[in-house]
Formats: sequence, structure tokens, C-alpha cells
Amino acid sequence: MNETRVGIIGIGQSHFKPRRDDANYPELVREAVRLALHDAGRELHDIEAIVYSLAPDALLGIGNAERLGVDAVGGAGKRFLRINTGGSTGLSSVAAAHAHIASGECDLVLAAGADKVGECGDSQTILNKIWDPIYERQLPLGTITMLAMSAVRAMQKYGMTEEDMARVTVKNRRHALGNPRAHLRKSVDIEDVMTSRYLAWPIKLLDACPQSSGGCSLVLASERYIRRHALDAVWITGVGHCSESYYIGDRMGNNFVADHADAHALALSFERSYRMAGIKDPVKEVHAAELYAPFSNTEFHAIEAAGLAPLGRSMSMLNEGCFQLGGAVPVNPSGGTLCTNAIAVSAMVRVAEAALQVWGRAGEHQVANARVAIASGNGGDHQFFGTMVIES
Amino acid sequence: MNGGRQSRSRPSTDSKMKQERKVSMPLGIVGVAIHAPMRADQRSLEEAQYAVVQGALSDASLTMSDIDGIVVAGNDQLDGRAITLMAASGSVGGVGREILSTPSAAEHAFVLASLRIRAGQGRTQLVVAWSPIEVSSTSEALHLGTDPYFHRALPLNDLTAAGLQATTLEAAVPQLRAAAHSIVRKNREHGAIAYPDRALAPTEEAWIAGGRIVHWPLSDTMRRPHEFGLTAIVVMDDRSIAERGAQHVAWVRGIGWATEPSFIGDRNLAQLPSLAAAARQAFTSAAIDAPETAFDVAEVDDSTPYQELLAYEGLGFCRRAEWTRRVADGTFGRNGRLPVNLSGGACTFNPFYCAGLVRIAEAANQVRGRAGKHQRPGARLAVAHAASGFAMQYNTVVVMGSEQRGETG
Amino acid sequence: MELLKRKESWNIGYEHALGETASWFFVQIRDHAQLYGRRCPKSGRVLVPPRSFSDQTLEPTTEWVKVGPGGRIETFTIVYEPFKSLPDPPYAFGYVLLDHADTAIGGYFRGVDLSDPDKAAAALAIGTRVITRFATERKGEVLDFWFEREG
Repeated sequence: MNETRVGIIGIGQSHFKPRRDDANYPELVREAVRLALHDAGRELHDIEAIVYSLAPDALLGIGNAERLGVDAVGGAGKRFLRINTGGSTGLSSVAAAHAHIASGECDLVLAAGADKVGECGDSQTILNKIWDPIYERQLPLGTITMLAMSAVRAMQKYGMTEEDMARVTVKNRRHALGNPRAHLRKSVDIEDVMTSRYLAWPIKLLDACPQSSGGCSLVLASERYIRRHALDAVWITGVGHCSESYYIGDRMGNNFVADHADAHALALSFERSYRMAGIKDPVKEVHAAELYAPFSNTEFHAIEAAGLAPLGRSMSMLNEGCFQLGGAVPVNPSGGTLCTNAIAVSAMVRVAEAALQVWGRAGEHQVANARVAIASGNGGDHQFFGTMVIES
Repeated sequence: MNGGRQSRSRPSTDSKMKQERKVSMPLGIVGVAIHAPMRADQRSLEEAQYAVVQGALSDASLTMSDIDGIVVAGNDQLDGRAITLMAASGSVGGVGREILSTPSAAEHAFVLASLRIRAGQGRTQLVVAWSPIEVSSTSEALHLGTDPYFHRALPLNDLTAAGLQATTLEAAVPQLRAAAHSIVRKNREHGAIAYPDRALAPTEEAWIAGGRIVHWPLSDTMRRPHEFGLTAIVVMDDRSIAERGAQHVAWVRGIGWATEPSFIGDRNLAQLPSLAAAARQAFTSAAIDAPETAFDVAEVDDSTPYQELLAYEGLGFCRRAEWTRRVADGTFGRNGRLPVNLSGGACTFNPFYCAGLVRIAEAANQVRGRAGKHQRPGARLAVAHAASGFAMQYNTVVVMGSEQRGETG
Repeated sequence: MELLKRKESWNIGYEHALGETASWFFVQIRDHAQLYGRRCPKSGRVLVPPRSFSDQTLEPTTEWVKVGPGGRIETFTIVYEPFKSLPDPPYAFGYVLLDHADTAIGGYFRGVDLSDPDKAAAALAIGTRVITRFATERKGEVLDFWFEREG
């Protein structure tokens, strides 16, 4: 294993909004890049390589839109490639940037992207097209229905209730009040969630993420670069990925390896990250968690996959206050994906927020004394999972 | 965010660090499969992906349990799937494994897999890319790659962009049309030997020159229509290669990759600074000082013959003032000093989206001694060049040898 | 400051090859109103819908197995929100483990009163037995069949 340590030296995040009519897509990317470079005290010409974060092109309405984004990231003449692992793209992009440095190839790498989900007309229509045309395209599958079906199984398997789900929304909305960059910054109570209209049972409007526009960017550097320039940094100490079968129906029935109620491959991905970071007891060693959960029910299986709660126990632990700011291990202190979802970068925002926590720069949503944080990303039909451990 | 937190010191060692450095390249290609399904309707895309992966594993004498990670590349608009990685993942062994996707270009999947191996993130990686022809119009699908702000209303796609580049080049370098025809003839002749089942006849230059102009100055005889193809490569770190006693290894000596600016109008299409940058990265790493004489064989982008000409220059094979002469004297032909595209190139097999990865696969097979009918006897050092995007926006260069290190170390 | 917008839409068509396995599956539906799965020899699981290889074991599947028409609901959802190019709500669909199958196949649930979400959810609870119904005129596609509760 290569010993080059990789640090994050700069973070840039938009203030996420429903629409950004004032900026076209590359301009949103540029905005995030500018913020990250300024934060890192670097200039575009210092960057040796770019990893571009972009999930389905169709959501932007531009095929291979990263080609348009080359200028926004100052890519001309430089190493450049794009990552797409669905919703986990943002985290996978940071992982790819990490590999550029850990391999010894580069010292300074930029990860960047943006999304304008609100402009695409109807994201569920496009997200229906992620299913294969042979068997499942004709069914009205979308990410909402797919994860509603996960909720149904979790209700039957663990007794999860709609009130349990509502508590996740209430918690994350409250957290977002302390995050000026979050899209949804209005607190709600359980009653509000329970009386909001059904999208796909049991997921209601307030159980669901918004469609956000904005960008995110991180500047990564090698340890030798960081020491040479006496820079402030936080460290990526663990990286892992794993994926499930694409067939949802295989995650049920007889003799399944993974249950659609859970996030089995996410647990395996965390195991890999933890192993690399030397973490043996996440409950004791992890101080903050930014877990990708675009629907309230999905936060539960993410918490369990991260080893922060035994299977089926996260609902009661959330009810006891374990996962809110001030609790044992705050989950999504930024408000999470439930409050901001610019798909191409949502998983990068998880890394950014985890980094801010251990850096002590999370302002009003800071977890006190956080030194170890984790981040996760989910992509495809609950299929691709990426995880990271960030430490100060 | 706290602005300006970081120090802005600029020690003089900065520029030194940014120069291309000789990096360690402890990895090799141990398995290759290039598939050209004759009957595209016989298998689903997923089944074809499964088959090409099984083919590469078999070529490497490995099974999927030996694979630590996978990097794939496909184009959503060509495939008709909004995240093409999803349905493909199972076919290529993604379940339970680390799998990533680089849709920017098929060759980028190889780049990322190599970086991961060098970073210690998985010792054996599988690289897979594909290019189906299920879309009603490839060019229409690719036209969607234009931005809606300034370019969508224009008829800009892969072919017209190539036409723009060719026109620019012809204006910059006189008498280029004949050289273009000659390159097509060369590649068709190579293809007739390499893949006789696939190669198109005829190959006479006069016939090529008499083609119908479709996108000025490109004629229908200068390029081959898009066809269904897939390719898979197994890359392994040196320790695993030694432990397993792997045979037929193409040692990776250098990799470089870079991009042009976004807007065609911002570029001088007759120049490719990104190819020069990519070549510099790869050659520095591989300790290549004299590319015009170093290589035994090369596989370069020839989606139009003008691309191949730009590759000659960008890879340092010859300057543009020499193009016409070198093409005419057979330097780059089968019996020349530096045969280019012995596989027949895209003139013989054009799985458009993954053609770049096919160039890497073909070059690897040369130094592995596995290039079959088109093997250059004694080929020990090869270079592959891949280009993707409109008018060669992305350029990637890979140097491979039959030994882990060259004479110069 | 006047801010302009431009409307664009994507209009591209595809013809996707289904391959031999899926083709045979759909021909059986079209011509015989019969569903089949394929068995993975390594895990023993009968995969429905059928595939020529298992993505879990990467082994080619070996035999056709008749499945259904009865089955049990493994999961469901009821959609109340309209989405462009998707059917008008409300509608219910989910996954059914057909008799003799080991994995579940997706399909619509019909014949359930969806007006009260809680009652509808109870009617479709995991474990509910269903029967596969086939359209009289079939094309050889997933919409040729749907599921209704038994009894």
C-alpha cells in the first residue's frame, strides 16, 4: 500500500437553491471551484489534475456535459476525467482524486461538479430510465418508488413506522437551520410530515429530498505538498466502495445475499474504509456522520450500515436522541441530502461537510470536538456505495 | 468559508514539482479481449458485456474472484440507459466489488484503474468499455453533447467536428488530401490481414479518393460506420504478476492524459496541445527521449485519417512538414520503420465509443506477442494513443513494453 | 437584468436487443401466458426475471423452471403523485416472489381500492398471496401480466 497521505486543503460549496437562473451550468461549476481554490489559497494553474463529478447527463440535458465543464475547472492542457456512479458520484469523484495523489501521480488535484436538478423538468421521468429496457423500464420505477419499497420491507422486518421516518426529517430540518448552504432551511414537526401528501406510500412529500441547484468542489493535496507549503488540512484516512446486484427483486425472496430493506453493500463499503483507517469500533471512534439519505427511511439503514447501530435498532436510538446534534454520534448535522440534493455533487457535499466537522469549521452546525467523521454516497437503484473516513 | 486561510507562499520548488516527474509504474496488462459481435441482435448488451469480460479473464488465466476492482466506461445516450453503469455492473462482476465508471472516455477507465493499482487500492483491476448501436442515430445522440446555450442549434456532432478539424488542417498544411487517402489505404490493407472477416474492400487509393463527400472534406470512404464492439483489459500490479508467474505481460511504462478547452471556437483545431502534454507525461515516465525511433509499433486514433496525422505529430513520430513524405515512403506501413495501426484501426473496426480502449488493447497485444495475424515480430515497445470527444478533445497516451523496465531504466 | 431561458427536449429512439434468454421468456408469455425463471447452478436460486448468467455468482444459468402463477408480495408501493410520462395516479406496483422462484419480479397490482392509503397498504402487506393475470392480447412484454390478490 502506497504511503502517500492525502489531505483536503480547500472546500467550496454553493448556497443551494431550487433554481439558479442567474448562472448556466458551467458557471455553477466555476463558482464552486473559485470558492474551493480561495479556501485553499491556490490558483487554477497550480492544479495538476481534475476529477469531474457528474451523474446522469440527462438531468442536465447535455450529453457528456463534463466536456463543457472543462473550462470551468481550468482543465485545458491538464489531466481530466469524469466519474459517474449515480448518486454516489460526488464521493467516488473524491475517491478518484485521492487515487491520483496516493498513486504518486500528482500533488494537487481538484474535484468539482454541479447540478441543476430543478431545471430538468421532471427528474423522476429521467430516473425511470436508469432501469434496463428489457425487464423493468416499462414499470413505473423511479428512485422514490424504489426506496418506498425499501421502507415497506423495513416496516415489516423491523417495525419501522411512518413516525420514525418523520423524526429523521424533523432532526435534519433542525440541523439545516445551522447550515447557511442548505436548500431547505425551514423546521418542521412530526405532524407536518405526517400530514404532507403521499408521493409513493409510505414516502410523503416531507420525507423526500428537494431538487437542488448548486456546485461543490474540493482541493486535495499530497502530504509532502501540504508540509512544503505549511498548509492547514484534514486527512482522508479511509476509502471504500462496494455494490449490490442491480436487480431489486434479487434482494428479497429466498436465499438473498442482501435485503432491500437494508444496505448490505454499504456495510461492506464501510468495512473497507474502516479497515483502511484503522477504525475498529465506529460507535466509540466516529464523532460525526454525513450519510447519504435522500429519503427519511434510508437514513436508518445507512446508520446501521455504518455500524452506528445494530440492525433494526436505529429507529429507537434516533428517538432517544443519539443521532442529533448534541447526541452520541450526530448524523447529518448539515441537514443532509434530505435538505439539499444537487444529485451530481450530493455525495461530495457529504465529504465536504464531514471535512468541515473535523476541521472545526462547521459553524452553527459544528459537532463539538469532532476529530473523526465519516461520509457515504449511494448511487443507482440503491446499488453503488462509496464511503470515506476523514480525520483531523 | 474562511477566505485566505491558507498561506500563499510560492517557494521556487513549486515549478519543479509541477514538471512531469518520472513516476513508478509497477503494473502490467495481463489479459485482453476485443469483441466485435457480428449479429448485434443475438445478445443483449448485458450478455455481450458478460462475454467480453469472461474473454479477458480467460486470456489472463484468471477468474472473477481474482479481481479486486473494476472500472467501466459507457455512454448513456448511446446505450439508452440513464446510468449505464447500473445494468452493466452485474455483467462485469460488480456485485460485491468496488466498481467505478468514467463516462468521459473509454480510455479514462484504463487511466483510473492504473491510478488505483498504483495507489494500492486493488492489485488486479478489470477495465471494460462498450459501444452499442441500438440508438436510432449515433450522431443525433452525440449532438446532444452540444451545449444548449450557444451550440445546440448548430449541426455539430462527432462527424461535423471532425470535418471542421480536417478543413483547418488542410488549410494549415498543403497537399494533405492525398496523404489522408494514403493512410486510409494503409489501414484497410492492415485490416485485411489482421481481421479478414471484418475488413472492408476495396483498398485502392483511387477508390478511396473517389468517395462521396459527406462532411467536407471527409468522404464516405474515409471512415467506417459505427459498429457494435466491446473490449476488456485486465491490469495487475507487479507483485501479483511475479507471484503468479503471469505470462504475456504488457508492462505499462508511462501514461499521460490531457484535455482541450470546451468550445471548439476557442481552439486552433490544427493544433493539439493536450496531445503534446499527454505524450510528454507518458514519455517522461517511460524515459523515452526519441519517440521517432523508440517504438516498434503504434496504435493511434484514426477515426478519420486527419486524426492519425495529428497523432504522428503529437507523439513525436514526425513533424507536419514531413507528413506527406513519410506517409508516401511507407514509414508507418507494415514494412516500415514504425508500423502504425497494424490492427487496421477504426478503418477496420469502429466501435466508436470504446475505440480508444481498443487502441490500448491492440498495442498491449503487440508487446505481449498476442496480436495474431497482425503481430509485428519482436515488438518490444509500443505506444497507444486514444482520442475522444469532438475533434479530439481528450487525448491519452500509454507506453507499454515487454519488459518492466527499459535499458535506460 | 433580463434573464433568458431556452427550451430543449431529447428525442432519440432505441432498438434494444433482448437476447435469447429474455426473448424466450417473453415469447412464452405472449404465446402461452406462462412465466419462467432460470436456475443458477452455483447458488441454486431460480432467477426471475430470467437471465443467462447470475450476477451474484457469475455462472451461466442452466435450466428453465416454470414459475407462478401464484406468488407472494415481497414489497409494494402505492403512488399518489403524478410524474411526467408515468401513469396517472393512484396505482400500486411492487415485487412478487412467484411459486418456484427464488427472486421477485416486478409488476402492477390491480383490483385493490387505493383511496385510503393505510387500508391499501394493509391489503398489499408483505406476504399477501397473489395470482398472476395475463392480458388477452399479449405483445411479449412486462405489461402483458399483472398481479391480483388471491381470494
